Order: sequence, then C-alpha cells, then structure tokens
Amino acid sequence: MSDGRVNGAKFNYILGLINLAVVFCIVWLLWYVFMHADGVMRLYTPMYGFSLVAVLLSAVILISQVLGWPADPAKPLAAGAAIAQGILGAVLSLAVMFVVYYLVFWLFIGKYGVAYFSVPALLAAGGTGVEAYNVQEWSSTAILYFSTAFLWWALVWNLGFGRWPWQDDNRWVVGWSRVFVVSFFSIITFALLFHPHVCLLFPEAQKMVGAKPWWEGWADTSSAFFGLGVVLCTLWWVVFSDLFWEGRPWSWFNREGEGNLLKGVITFLATLAMGLITVYILTAIFNAIWMEPYVGGQYTDGPDWRFIHMGEVAGFCVLFAFIWKYYFNNWPNGLPLLLRGIIRTIIGVAGGMLIYWFYYSSLSRAVLGKVPGWAQPGDSPLVWTLLFLTVVLIQGQFFHNWPLRSAGREEGA
Amino acid sequence: MKRRDFLKGMAVTGAAAGVSGGLGLLPKSAEAADKVDFGHVKGLKVEVLSETSWFDNAVFKKDLMDYGGAMTNQYKIPWHWDNAGGYMTKITVYPLEGDPKIFLMDTGWNNGWVDYIYDEKSDMGKLLTSKQVDTMILSHWHLDHYWGVESTLKRNPKITMYAPKTYYPEDMALLKGGKNVAKTKDGKEVVINQNKVPHQGKLVLTAPEGEKGTGVYQLMPGVALKMYDVPILLRVRGENVMYFNVKDKGIVTVTGCCHPGILTLNAWARRNVKDYQPYGCYGGLHITLFETWDPKFDDIIKGVKAFKLKKVGCNHCTGWIWAEKAAEAGVPIVKGTNKFKTYKRTSSVAKDSNAFLTNGDTVKF
Repeated sequence: MSDGRVNGAKFNYILGLINLAVVFCIVWLLWYVFMHADGVMRLYTPMYGFSLVAVLLSAVILISQVLGWPADPAKPLAAGAAIAQGILGAVLSLAVMFVVYYLVFWLFIGKYGVAYFSVPALLAAGGTGVEAYNVQEWSSTAILYFSTAFLWWALVWNLGFGRWPWQDDNRWVVGWSRVFVVSFFSIITFALLFHPHVCLLFPEAQKMVGAKPWWEGWADTSSAFFGLGVVLCTLWWVVFSDLFWEGRPWSWFNREGEGNLLKGVITFLATLAMGLITVYILTAIFNAIWMEPYVGGQYTDGPDWRFIHMGEVAGFCVLFAFIWKYYFNNWPNGLPLLLRGIIRTIIGVAGGMLIYWFYYSSLSRAVLGKVPGWAQPGDSPLVWTLLFLTVVLIQGQFFHNWPLRSAGREEGA
Repeated sequence: MKRRDFLKGMAVTGAAAGVSGGLGLLPKSAEAADKVDFGHVKGLKVEVLSETSWFDNAVFKKDLMDYGGAMTNQYKIPWHWDNAGGYMTKITVYPLEGDPKIFLMDTGWNNGWVDYIYDEKSDMGKLLTSKQVDTMILSHWHLDHYWGVESTLKRNPKITMYAPKTYYPEDMALLKGGKNVAKTKDGKEVVINQNKVPHQGKLVLTAPEGEKGTGVYQLMPGVALKMYDVPILLRVRGENVMYFNVKDKGIVTVTGCCHPGILTLNAWARRNVKDYQPYGCYGGLHITLFETWDPKFDDIIKGVKAFKLKKVGCNHCTGWIWAEKAAEAGVPIVKGTNKFKTYKRTSSVAKDSNAFLTNGDTVKF
C-alpha cells in the first residue's frame, strides 16, 4: 500500500499547488504566443493549431509511453540531471512533431499517397475551394483525427498489453515494436472512424474513396465527431484506471507481472464499453440541459457538437487526472485501493468539472481570448486542454516531475 | 425517445426542440408556457440590396489566414479594402391594415460599394434621406454587415437602430463617429474602418430575453426581432433575427448570417410562437461560405427537409455549394436571376445555377 511518500519524505502539497500555478502560467504564455487571437503567431485558425497541439502531445506519448523513454520517470533524479533530461525530452518531442507533421504527413504520405494529409499536395491538386486557408484546415483535420487514433492505441496498449509479446527482449526492441503495432492499429482505426468524414470535407465528396459514414443512421450525423467523442470518453477511463486505480482491475490479468493478450483484449474492450456507457450518460445529461438534438441542428442543437463536447468533457477530466497525479501526489495514498480509487475518481470528475467551469466562464475570455458561450464554430476546449496536458506530461515524464520529485531533497509536510 | 422518432415527431406534430434564450441553457421544465403572439402581416417583400460582402473569396481567405484564421479578432486584420463589398437588405412589410413599412437590415462594409448600391442600384439612399426608412436592424457586428455604417448615417443619422448588446468597444467607437486601425505584418498602421457621422438616433441593444421577458422585440404587428447570444467567428457574438408571421402562411425568418442555424430559428419559433407554421426564410445561412464541405452540411439539408420549409431564399454566407446541393436534394430553394451581372462588380464564386438570390433579386413571402 502506498503511503504517498516521495523519495522518503512527505509530499509537499503547497509546492504542488505552486508548481501547478507556474505550469498554468507557462501554458498561458504558450497560448498567447502560438494560439491567442490577439497573440503573436495565431495558429489557432482553428484546425491548424488544433492539429499541431495534437501531434505534439502524440510525440510526447510516443516517446514516453510507447518507446518507453525515460525508462523510469518515477525515479527521483538530481536537479541537474532532471533538467537536462527534461529539456532533451521536450526538444525531442518538438523534433518528432515537426518530422511527423511536415515531413511524414505533408511531404511524404500526403505528397505520394493520401493527398488530404498534405497542404502542398492539395494545392497541387487544384479544384473548387482549393486555396491555402481551406487546404490547411482540411489537412489539419485529417492529421488531428490520425493523432486521436494514435493516442487511443498508444495509451490503451500500454495499459493492457504492456510489453507483451516482447517482454523477454530489451527495452528498445519492446519500444520500437510497440511503435509499429500502435501505428498499425491507429491506421485501421483512422480508416474506420475518421477517413469517411475526411472524404466528405471537399466540395466534391470523395465517395469512391471513402465509405458513407456507417454511424450516421443512429448517431444522426455523418460527422466523425461521433468517433472522436467515443474515443476520448474511452481514453477517460483508460487514464482513470491507470492513474487513479493504479492499473486495476486490468492488472489482475497480469502473468508474471507482465501484460498479455488476454489482459490487452479485456482492457481494450472493457474501457471501450465504459466509454460507450459514458457517451450514453453524457447524452442524457446534455439532453436534459439543451434538449434533444436533431439532424442538422447547429450549435448546441447539433448531434455532431454533442459528440465532440463529450470528448471535451473527457479531455477536462483526463487533464485533471494528470494534474492530480503529478502536483497532488494522487491523493489519497494511505487507504485501501478500493477506497482511494473511489475518492480519486470523484475528485477527478469534480476537478474536470472545475476546468469545465473555468473554460466556459468569463475568466477564459481574459486568459484565452475566447468568445463567451458554447459551441462556437471551430472552437474547441480540447486545443487548450491538450496543450496544458502536453506541458504537464513533459514535466512529469521527461523532467521526472522535477522540482517536486528530486533526489536527496528533504520535503517537509 | 430515440432521436429519429423525435425528429419524426417534430415534423409531424410540431413538438418542440432547439435552443431557447440564446445558448439553450433552458431546461425542459422552463419551456414557454405562454407562447408569444406577435400578430400577423399580410406579406413581405425582401429585396437583395447587396449580398456580396467581398468579391474574391481567395483574397478574403488570405487576409484571414495571414492574420490568424477564424478565431482572430476582426479588428486586428488589415483587410483588403478593395475586396470589400457589404451585406444590406431592404424589407418591405405589408401589414394587415395600413401602409407598408420598410426596414433596412445591415449596412455593408465598403462605403464606396454601399453608396453605389444605395444611390445607383436601389432607392434605399432616397428612402433613408427622406426618413421613409427610419429603422435599421443590425443583425450582428461582423465587418461586412456593419463597418459601412457611415453610408447609412450620413443619410439618416437619427435612424433607430437595433443591435445586439454583445458589442465590443471598437464597435461602439465606430458607431459614435470614430475609426479603427490595424497593423500590417510589417508594423504599418492601416485604417480599417471609419465613420464621420455619429449615430444620434435611438439605439436599442437587444438581449436574448427580449422585451418584458417575452424573448422578442415587437417591431410592429406581425414582426418580431429575436437576439440569439451565440459565439461567432472573428470574436463576434450574438445575432438579431427578424421573424414575420404571414397570415395563413406561417413564419418567415430574415437573417444577416443566421449563425445560430436556420433549424434553431424554426425550432425556437415552434416552441415559442403561437400557432407556428413553417413557411420560409431569407438571408445568409452561414454554411459553405468558404467553398468547402463538411458532413454536418449534409445533416442540415436533411434537417431543412424535415422542418418542411416551403421557400428557402438564400445567398451570401450560405455558400453556392450548399444551395446547389440542397436544391438537388429537394429543398425548395428560391432561384435568383442574372441581375447581378449588371452591377459594376460581381462575386468570383457566382454561378449560372442561380441557386442564390443575388444582388438585385427579390423574393416575396
């Protein structure tokens, strides 16, 4: 049973709170420089900024969760080593983002294979609506969707399959093998959940290339926001079970301390089922607030918006889960797992709602330059949420949560 | 209830759905118990003064892209002035008794274009000067609907104006006789709008709750104005929508851009207007304005058909692509003519399909 001690000392929650405040300011600064409507670069067009943030987060997850570097981010490091490694991790993540976004998607896959991933390829194709702004938004949408599929598989694979079936090999064999298997399933997921939507983005629907969205009949929308909502609600429980329930109940299926096929399949299917139940519950809540949506409804009336909004709610809760883990030491720690899991889950949902309240309050107008109100076309809280999550993960994974977890430092209660 | 059953129920029985009071944060229990009865009109005629807010889509989008895209503050972009046109609509209302009344909706963007429309392509200039048009509805604070305000005010500075209360300081500065400046990428300051004639008339700032909590502002018998407090692109917020209850026909909506969504407008009326019957709409419907597509646009076509509107007059930010696809799908799109070709400038996206009511066209309800 964990007593919550960090490096042999009690966790300092005041320092955690200060750390969170500093990270909030860093995120605000990044937001102002890169995204804010009155800021410097204004990449929030919206899809371009959205997709860049999603790919950056994917890069952090790729390095830390899939490749498994650093090997033990929970291990305390001396300040100098933590800072050096943290900077290296952040730079590597940015490098991966640039390589994946511009070289892999724009100049390789998009140019020689699937044109909709690439601004230059779409511009070269020509046709109705083909102008720099449109093609940037189109390709960004496709890349964002692929990143969503990747994030899902990266996290659920890690939780369910772990190092299986390469547990007897060295960590780099495991890491790179996971890169390929996660990529493989991401491609299939993208094809099934998102590709049909991307094929409908163009003035001339690419009907020969993409099937009619199979979910339209009962989701009452052809939009892949349906898939986005389901995936993010599933990730909500992937993250909660990993962080708050410390891998339970999935770890009960471990063999010799390792993941395996059965555990992986059960984890995947069970979290997906929990995600679908969450979709059902949120649907009922949204219907109580905004009434029933209907085909063609816009703003809060739109079935498509309802689905992405479920994803946004999930995003808030996932962000809070990581905040709670890194800055508040996953409190409580001194109780039986069942009790602490329940308490953490309640805290996690409440914290997610707190972030929800912030995003839709007048505070966000001052901080983020957001127009008040729900369902602004193109606006999604996920952009800011994912940026925040990225910074939190960079500190937690690459900096070994320095300065909150450093070697040889006495932390008073 | 399943959504599909619900939709069928709406179409057949008129059961209610949709946003109420702006952002729809109204629980079912708070549905209108007393439905609004704002009377009837005999009919109305809508004349398209100008629906060409800009002439070259590519230039407009480049301006947008160069300065940050759809989330950017419209006052931070040094727009290409020579690409600007504007949106203005003349609405003649025929009451059940008495003389017709004319409303102006919106006041365009480029003063040169607005003046040309007012004086050379319509009688709006004379009507304003002679005070026969004494009321202007500002649909929303977007540049192409508002920044040409000087053209209206120099002809009638005392015009009564209804505008969404969700304005920004820059909006009000322009109305009071000011100007706004934006910086180009190389740091040069550019005047992006200007008004030398301060507004001296009555300004009614509209809110979702309307007059006395009815949700609407009654402009005359059979004519109501409703403000939807929705967030819009380019940092703008809120849109005024005109509702007309045409006797023996039903509800007609007239919009600038219809950002809340045409189905939302009708869903609100279905729930809140006494004896609601769907009839028609005119205006920008804000769907495929950038010549792009999205699965949800197919959803809107299905939804419009389900709501059984009988006359859909659209242009401006509706997007030609949507109008053409909707017409193909059986939506009763009111076709335009080729009058727009007689204007000194035409839109780069205009097509011979006449799916739009273009400059100079008229639609009667």
